Amino acid sequence: MITAADWQEEVLSEQSLRSWVDLLVRLVEAAGALIIFFGAGLAFARFVSLTARRRREHEFTAVRLGLGRYLVLGLEFQLASDLLKTAVSPSYEDIGQLAAVAAIRTALNYFLGKEIAAERQELDAEEQADSGRGDPERAVP
Amino acid sequence: MSGVLQTAALLCTVGGLISAALALAATRRPLAALRVLLDLLLAAGLLRLTGDPDLRALTTLAAVVLLRQLVSAGLRQDHRIAAGTEP
Repeated sequence: MITAADWQEEVLSEQSLRSWVDLLVRLVEAAGALIIFFGAGLAFARFVSLTARRRREHEFTAVRLGLGRYLVLGLEFQLASDLLKTAVSPSYEDIGQLAAVAAIRTALNYFLGKEIAAERQELDAEEQADSGRGDPERAVP
Repeated sequence: MSGVLQTAALLCTVGGLISAALALAATRRPLAALRVLLDLLLAAGLLRLTGDPDLRALTTLAAVVLLRQLVSAGLRQDHRIAAGTEP
């Protein structure tokens, strides 16, 4: 018969907790990497398609905005994995490296968010200017 | 996993170079092409940062982020001057 002490020893031991957290970290990191790679692949396909149709610069900006959103989402997953790692970081060296990576990812997340907002405004202004001028490219279906 | 990530990062870098060349051909604006290249290089850098990154990966990504900020600031300034809103 399994007692509470045995259960605590086997399921909640430091070793098993470490392996569970390691597995979770790998899963969350893989999800983040998958999102970033998918976003990059999609953006590449759209860039090729836009070039084939000889589109204008602001349409490239729209594709870049889409890629930026995928990058931000992937970064959120990577930050989540950094947080999970702090649960089982064994040494000061590991924690220092983790802090550097987390700081870069957090700063990047902040700047990407700001950049996306600024480019969105720029794109809206260009689209308004185009519609005000009666853009000939938009008139053709 | 690191082998797969390295390959994915390499694909992103190659994709960035091709996309930048295509953007340059389509728009004839080098800075717009540079923006496209930096976006995909950033994706490659983020993929390299997955797992256990070394100092080189960290500094490379920091350099790309800094360059992105500089190019974006330059382009925005350029855009404001072209729009006639800058004194």
